[in-house]
Amino acid sequence: MKAYRNDAWLLMLPAAAVMAFVGVIPLVAVFNYALHDIFSLQDVHWVGVEWYEEIVTSSRFHGSLARSLLFSAVVLLVQVPLGVGLALLLRGTGRWAVGVLMLVALPLVVPWNMIGMMWLGLINPETGIAGQALVAAGIGFDWKFTALHTWILLVVMDTWHWIGLVVILAYAGLSGISPDYYRAAAIDGASRVAVFRFIELPKIAGPLGIVLLLRFVDSFMIYTEAFAINAGGPDMATHFLAIDLGEEIKGFSYGSAAARSMVYFLIVITVVWAFVRISGLSRQEDAA
Amino acid sequence: MRGVAVKLAVFGALAAFILLPLVQTFLLSFMSTLPRDGMVEGEWTLINYRNIMADPDLTGSIINSLIYVSLNVALCIGAGLPAAYALARNRFVGDRHFLFLLLAFRVTPPVVLSLPIFILFANVGLVNTPVGIALVHCLFNLPIAIWILESFISAVPKEFDETAFIDGHSLPSFMLRQLIPAIAPGIGVAAFFCFIFSWVEVVFARILTVTAGKPITMAINALFGFQTDIGLVMAMTVVSLLPGVGMIWFVRKHIARGFVMRA
Repeated sequence: MKAYRNDAWLLMLPAAAVMAFVGVIPLVAVFNYALHDIFSLQDVHWVGVEWYEEIVTSSRFHGSLARSLLFSAVVLLVQVPLGVGLALLLRGTGRWAVGVLMLVALPLVVPWNMIGMMWLGLINPETGIAGQALVAAGIGFDWKFTALHTWILLVVMDTWHWIGLVVILAYAGLSGISPDYYRAAAIDGASRVAVFRFIELPKIAGPLGIVLLLRFVDSFMIYTEAFAINAGGPDMATHFLAIDLGEEIKGFSYGSAAARSMVYFLIVITVVWAFVRISGLSRQEDAA
Repeated sequence: MRGVAVKLAVFGALAAFILLPLVQTFLLSFMSTLPRDGMVEGEWTLINYRNIMADPDLTGSIINSLIYVSLNVALCIGAGLPAAYALARNRFVGDRHFLFLLLAFRVTPPVVLSLPIFILFANVGLVNTPVGIALVHCLFNLPIAIWILESFISAVPKEFDETAFIDGHSLPSFMLRQLIPAIAPGIGVAAFFCFIFSWVEVVFARILTVTAGKPITMAINALFGFQTDIGLVMAMTVVSLLPGVGMIWFVRKHIARGFVMRA
């Protein structure tokens, strides 16, 4: 049972101050910019919600939104089953598990702007290992001009980058299951599917929720890696939401960029709110 | 036996998939990739690494990165530990809202806040310094530090605190002398994640370093030009991987349990 005492806020002050400075103040500033037309920081005009109207009614925004949603859906459908499957195989391999976890953690420590470059090097048909193999196998892989190939490259690269997160978190959930459950299931003659559904899934549901949230948000707002591969091309085929925003900031249209930022923030915050409600995070807090 | 064979095949394929881009990078970093006197292109050499050591911009960028990442870890642990303790032991007005706020800022894409953060930091003189980057990376690292530390502190029974207070420890003295040793693995894991996420972040690190204090990621970007020395780029990439690989080795025993928010 936790003690109810409001002076605990004193201990929260340093953290709250930092979050206010780097999070809350910039967010309020974005909200404010979004209501203005900003020619320069000295020349600012009130425009109300015009930027928002322009953005949410533009076909460009709808296109980017659809592409980002599709990308997130593909990424989740590929990475979550794959990662959970690997974690299930990893269970009970003893010392090997640590080695495999270290291996899949490797891509997580690569600086994000290097990832696109490493993969472009890998599939280079003249010097890359994978590129030469593809040429030898007679497969024409034209990531520069064929939209489907760019998408395949992005999904494979993103899976390479993030599969470790899924495996590590799913494995953490699985390793908390006592062997007694498995023995009881074996005595009852439970099928493999039943063991997964009634023993393993409930145990990894918590970590998996976090995986889903982090992977959704990060893939939905993918920027650095996608830009490095093809800068949104070919012909806008990989032009995601964050690339739109990056272009506006580079083009100095701050008011519009701020409104776009707010729209994205609202989408993200809605997803987080839904996640907290569905996962019952707040109810667990009450029970604790 | 069939089960073992399947596992070996699956993890072998996984290892190949994960290592392939890394091996390619590693190999290229030991090759001469530009026409040079007395060298054939593709010749095995250490020249790329020698070039890094000879270029003060490159060595300086490695030091810049190490400075702001260390500062960020110190900030996150320093501010995160008291907050995590408060959240683990007490309930108070707005505690759940604070946790929601942390989650919201953890998942807010940096590109959304990059513009006002640049203007705000420019106004208070935090552009082009490692301090600015260290501070802004708290946006996503402080929530992680607080979650991890909170779960480790919650695992310590409350009687542990009460005994210490009866023994005459004040709150700061209890935290320094009793709590920190008791949750040392948790601090290690939190530091690991803060280090990694700060090290790989690019968007903030780019906008906050206009003229000076360039981190290693931006130094690598700057190597691209009319005639890019790919070998040098790959050698810098290998160097940029070393601290992360070292950190993975350092926390290998905890890697499977550290990130679970409410296990």
